[in-house]
Amino acid sequence: MPAQANTGKTEATKRKEAKLVSLYEEYYDKIARYAFVRIGNRTEAEDLAGEVFLKALESLESYKERGIPMQAWLFKIAHNLVVDHWRKRTKRKIVPIDTVQIEAGTDPAALAEKNIQRERVIKAMEELTQEQREVLGLRFFAGLTSKEAGNILHKSDGAVREMQRAAIEKLRKLLVIEH
Amino acid sequence: MTNNFDKTLDECIDRINRGESLESCLADYPDYAERLEPLLRAMLQTKETCSFEPSASAKMAARQRVNAALGQLERRRAERQPLFPRVFSWSKAWVPVAVLLIALIGYFGLRPVLFPAAPGPQPSPEGNFAFLISDDVNAIGDFQRLDISISKIGLHLASGDGQWIEFDPEVEVVDLTLLPGDKAQEIWRGDVPEGQYTKVFIYVSNVNGVLKETGRPVQVKLPSNKKLQISEPFEVTSQSVTSFVYDVTVVAAGSQYILKPQAGQSGADQSFEKVVGRGGD
Repeated sequence: MPAQANTGKTEATKRKEAKLVSLYEEYYDKIARYAFVRIGNRTEAEDLAGEVFLKALESLESYKERGIPMQAWLFKIAHNLVVDHWRKRTKRKIVPIDTVQIEAGTDPAALAEKNIQRERVIKAMEELTQEQREVLGLRFFAGLTSKEAGNILHKSDGAVREMQRAAIEKLRKLLVIEH
Repeated sequence: MTNNFDKTLDECIDRINRGESLESCLADYPDYAERLEPLLRAMLQTKETCSFEPSASAKMAARQRVNAALGQLERRRAERQPLFPRVFSWSKAWVPVAVLLIALIGYFGLRPVLFPAAPGPQPSPEGNFAFLISDDVNAIGDFQRLDISISKIGLHLASGDGQWIEFDPEVEVVDLTLLPGDKAQEIWRGDVPEGQYTKVFIYVSNVNGVLKETGRPVQVKLPSNKKLQISEPFEVTSQSVTSFVYDVTVVAAGSQYILKPQAGQSGADQSFEKVVGRGGD
């Protein structure tokens, strides 16, 4: 390869590395939340979020700057890691979601109310299909657009919107939120 | 009809994700408001319940791993830089420069070729030498974090052959914002040959700085060879542990930042308060 082309390639890689580093602070949290919804365990979700950035670094040369935004690319990696995670696990259909900790000093009555509410949401989420949880994870917790989510799931944005509506309607019924 | 509703619901979810209120979304779509409201409430309830704050320690540990991986990549890149394709792709105008360089290398550079540095010393907790990094306070206050990746440490042994003793740090990435003033982080401990030393260098392979004010990364300049060298005499004996503090500082120069060694604050006679890095190193 000519020296100039090599230098250009190195410069592009360095630029992509800098971009990846700049996304870390904000996107580590979002990826961890997305992973939490998908695999239901806080510690594993945090580990997976860190793993996403390491995988991204490894395959940075394959990332095309003019393709999908790097943020969406990170979630694509996260999605693949979640799929791997489930492949390694036994084929369970129901995914229990960890108890989310409540801050100390919360009023006991409010705490009890929050616990009840949490139980209801967790049960409702467990009733959704894996695909529906995936869509809600990408839309609610990762903050991706339907188009970006569709890109990751290999579906059209219209199909994502339809799945999203169906998933939320199911949630609404299970949570008994009236019209 | 359903398609339109799906799009409206989608738009409202995007707006809520951006921080808008449920009420403002409903106000903009009065025709769908009755159907939208329970769905958006279900969304908000789910978000609130399933959200969690990842632990700061897990985030920091992961960050440290990413930084270490970055440092490794940088080193690999430096090692793989092919020499011959570059030389032969130079234009003819560079030929005299190349000839001069080769002559200079021939004159000054034979000694290290003929008398290469001995294999580097290995780290050991009982060693006679500890190497620490500190930061002299200049513009460090501007930074939320300033990670420097150190890939090599070199000590010039004046006695004997006058060789360079080189070794890789045990801790490769340090955050200078944690090391202001007297605070110093140990990055290597082991046995080095006894004797008088005159110069020290560190090879900084990568710098990642994030500014407090903007929360965004900023470029911090290094010398082109990425080597920060100081002349600072010190002695190493087998009777005691010599703790050498290497002080690095970041200075603002106009709109940019520069990383520099600080000889005045470096040495084996500097007082310091030992701290651990982010990963507990």
